[in-house]
Amino acid sequence: MKGWTSRDLRGLVVGLAYLAPSLLLFAAFVFIPLAQTIYLSFFNTRATGVITTFAGLDHYVELLTSEIFHTGLLATAIFALYTVPIGIALGLVLAVLLNQRLRAINVFRTMMSSTIAISAAVGALIWLLLFNPSLGLLDYMLSLIGIQGPAWLIQPTTAIIAVSITTIWLTLGTNIIVLLSGLQSVPEEIYEAARLDGARGLRMFTRITVPMVSPSLFFLFVVDTVAVLQAFTQIHVMTRGGPVDATRVLVYSIYQDAFQNFQFGFASAQAVILLLLVMGLTLIQFRFVERRVHYQ
Amino acid sequence: MKLGTLAKYALLVVASIIVAFPLLVALSYSFMSESEIATFPPPVFPAQPSLDNYSQVFATIPIVRYLLNSFVVSTAVVVGQLITASLAAYAFSFLVFRGRQVLFFLFLSTLMIPWEATIIPNYMTIRTIGWLDTYQGLAVPFMATAFGTFLLRQAFLQIPRELWDAARIDGASTFRFLISTVIPLSRPALGTIAIYGFLSTYNQYFWPLLITNQPLMRTTQVGIAQLRFEETLRWGLVMAGVIMVAIPTLALLVVGQRQLIRGLTAGAVKG
Amino acid sequence: MRRLATLALAFTMVATACGGLAPGGSDSSALAPAKDVAPAATMTWWHAMSGVNGDAVNKIVAGFNSSQSKIKVEAIFQGNYDDLLAKLNTAIASNAAPALVQVYDIGQRYMYDSAQVVPMQAFIDRDKFNTSDFEPAVINYYKYQDKLQSMPFNASTPVLYYNKDAFKEVGLDPAKPPVTFTEIADAAKKLTKKDASGQTTRYGFGPSIYGWLFEQLMATSGALYADNGNGRDNRSTKVVYNSAAGKAILDWWKAGVDGGYFYNPGIDNDGAANAFNAQKSAMYIESTARMRGHITTIAGKFELGIGLYPRPDSKPKEGGNIIGGASLYIMKSRPPAEQQAAWEFVKYAMSSAVQAQWQSDTGYYPVVKSAYDQAPSKDFSTKYPQFQVAISEIRDSPQNRSTNGAVLGVMPQARQRTQKMIESVLLGQATSQAALDAAVTEMNAAIDKYNKANP
Repeated sequence: MKGWTSRDLRGLVVGLAYLAPSLLLFAAFVFIPLAQTIYLSFFNTRATGVITTFAGLDHYVELLTSEIFHTGLLATAIFALYTVPIGIALGLVLAVLLNQRLRAINVFRTMMSSTIAISAAVGALIWLLLFNPSLGLLDYMLSLIGIQGPAWLIQPTTAIIAVSITTIWLTLGTNIIVLLSGLQSVPEEIYEAARLDGARGLRMFTRITVPMVSPSLFFLFVVDTVAVLQAFTQIHVMTRGGPVDATRVLVYSIYQDAFQNFQFGFASAQAVILLLLVMGLTLIQFRFVERRVHYQ
Repeated sequence: MKLGTLAKYALLVVASIIVAFPLLVALSYSFMSESEIATFPPPVFPAQPSLDNYSQVFATIPIVRYLLNSFVVSTAVVVGQLITASLAAYAFSFLVFRGRQVLFFLFLSTLMIPWEATIIPNYMTIRTIGWLDTYQGLAVPFMATAFGTFLLRQAFLQIPRELWDAARIDGASTFRFLISTVIPLSRPALGTIAIYGFLSTYNQYFWPLLITNQPLMRTTQVGIAQLRFEETLRWGLVMAGVIMVAIPTLALLVVGQRQLIRGLTAGAVKG
Repeated sequence: MRRLATLALAFTMVATACGGLAPGGSDSSALAPAKDVAPAATMTWWHAMSGVNGDAVNKIVAGFNSSQSKIKVEAIFQGNYDDLLAKLNTAIASNAAPALVQVYDIGQRYMYDSAQVVPMQAFIDRDKFNTSDFEPAVINYYKYQDKLQSMPFNASTPVLYYNKDAFKEVGLDPAKPPVTFTEIADAAKKLTKKDASGQTTRYGFGPSIYGWLFEQLMATSGALYADNGNGRDNRSTKVVYNSAAGKAILDWWKAGVDGGYFYNPGIDNDGAANAFNAQKSAMYIESTARMRGHITTIAGKFELGIGLYPRPDSKPKEGGNIIGGASLYIMKSRPPAEQQAAWEFVKYAMSSAVQAQWQSDTGYYPVVKSAYDQAPSKDFSTKYPQFQVAISEIRDSPQNRSTNGAVLGVMPQARQRTQKMIESVLLGQATSQAALDAAVTEMNAAIDKYNKANP
């Protein structure tokens, strides 16, 4: 390794010492299995996962030229676009609302962050009850105020919105907690100083609050994107990838190919592509967005 | 009460009800009979609330055992995560060494790997080392967390540089600084990781399903799935199970909230 | 270059270590163990029955364990059918499969191709077991090339559920439910109710978009789903449901939804059942396995009627219904002693007394005809006379390749694909023929791939 002084090496060793517990666990349960999966993506497999013949780049070629795959990518992109920005924005608005010194504020905080206590499976079940055309609680309530609700899970356009709403709700708890935590670590002096300068309301919000809480915003931006790109349970419970593949995001098609159609080689190739996509996205986020984050 | 405050309370109440609405629906349905649920237009409140669904849950699955298992495993994972993430985040924030950037991305990359890509090889590993149907098998694979490391890194980066410099001048070792200064100042973030880690482990389904055969080693989510029968979906029963499983985590949230606030007030003293 | 080689070596080692546990190699002649093999003392059975059915399963197991002291069976619930199969697949790959496992109907081909099964026929032939008492329709579903691969365990068939009170209300005869497509459409039109503002408060007919229902409609049409005798004479190479029969089904369905007298609950089977319970739809089609649930939930609200499954207007005489449900497979990877134990248990579970009790507890069909003579079965028939319709439905179904049902390695995928096909037609995204052709083209490619990957 060129250009490494002994000081560099010592620094690395110390660093690795702190990283060792995590790295060892990652190696055993993430990296090595991933290597196996990557390996598998170059082969054809029997239904039981045993390798039969070498496929080379066949799976990848088939995927990249398949219309279904493109539909899946589009569905994934739409899903992420609907869910992440709205989820974070909503979280911020509610966190600001909750960041007040009022009596019993804790009750409200608990109620609004309660979604974090609900698993995706459970949350999806409850929303299935609400969106359900037959039980139709949500549509019924809308009809009481004169709105004709759509058949949420039957129409392709509304199905993806329904799954999006469910996911926003599920991540709302995390978003609120992280943002509340971020808001609360903004020193009061900064607000005071800004108030003295004449900042109020919306101006205060955009000029002071948002930049001050940007580390948390960035964190949620990265983490929520990754979570949304891997969201599986809601889709499995509510739409099974339908109607007509409208919600068949990448991660769901990987599940179907691996655990329903038992095509492990093919599913592995999709997993690799998904991984590369997410990595690329995160790199972009770090490169272009983190520079606008304001660390104290 | 001032009008402004009243307005604030009103807003809070409305917002809370909207957000908690799905849970309230689940609660309401858990007291309804199947017959009542299957009416059109759909009911909102039970006409004759009963605890039948709850007793049915107890009769159908060993829910108490499942809750216990989930608790043990989730707690173990949290302890593991707090340790590994603190050490790692420290390295990524205060220590400067060559190769740090690459290693950081390596960590982040684990967040992006879809679980389908690793779950089967992991099953085989766990099986080979004989950890099927054990608490270790359920907990150890999740004791490292890139999410937690990332969150802590953000928190550590907020700690004023002057404290670090002062400690160096005082001759404190790197490790000492972590334990005596950094960790205490990062209680909110640690609290968040603890809660998050607990809940995400508690809410796992596929992994516990794969590696547990013994009914007594199963966890809550697998238990809920058992309430969804192959031939018919009994909403009342499922909702009762859902509520029972959510109560402990909601209770944790109530307690955790206070902890977060307390930690924040203590750590609000910044240089 | 050297680094690449080392990397490649590492990959290979890693992969062989975990992926290379080849199951049984090329030995395809799975024979039953020799007659004198003593059964193992313990045997594990994986199943997907929970709730009431889970209790019934435990009852059978307890009964077996207490009836003799040589073998102790342990029954483990492993999730629903999908999860169970996923888990089984993973277990096979790491040599951890149980001796006996319950797999759903469409998992047949997968099970044969896995080369992990000891066919039931092997045991039947070895012991010269008398199979004359078995219900033909039920048994035929699980035969491939006339050999019984697995033992049917829980059998059901789809029927027409209808609301007798609603029938009376609109002047239809509650004792004569509609049977053909046109009859159902006409009845549905009459049964559909709208309120003052034009909103439909009750639909005539509300089938869910479920691939199994489509497969059954092909069967009552006397048409084939796949080639090579529905995959039972030989492995299928393509699906053939884009025939006139398939088109007729889709046209009928679409006309109903477009006309506003068919309700569309999407893929949600539970939703369709609930709509029926809530009287949002007056008729719908589903498995007999749901019957008892309906009777309990409806109690006192309206009278439940059960009719024959829909068929084309021409009522083709080759048309009939396919058995659904799941069956039991004995796994080859376990030692012969355990296989023998599994066979002992299977024989017990097939005895008429046990089958009668099973029917009474769950509502599934008995696999053996003599079960109907037993008291629990008789009581069941008295309590639920509607069930007679279901029994005569399968007894009257002619036994041919069409009614035996299709066997495909990619059946789960095929079922999903037909669902997507029906969705696209109902949403107006494609015409019936175009949707059928598109689905068939896609599935043929998948079948091709499967056949190549599983030589």
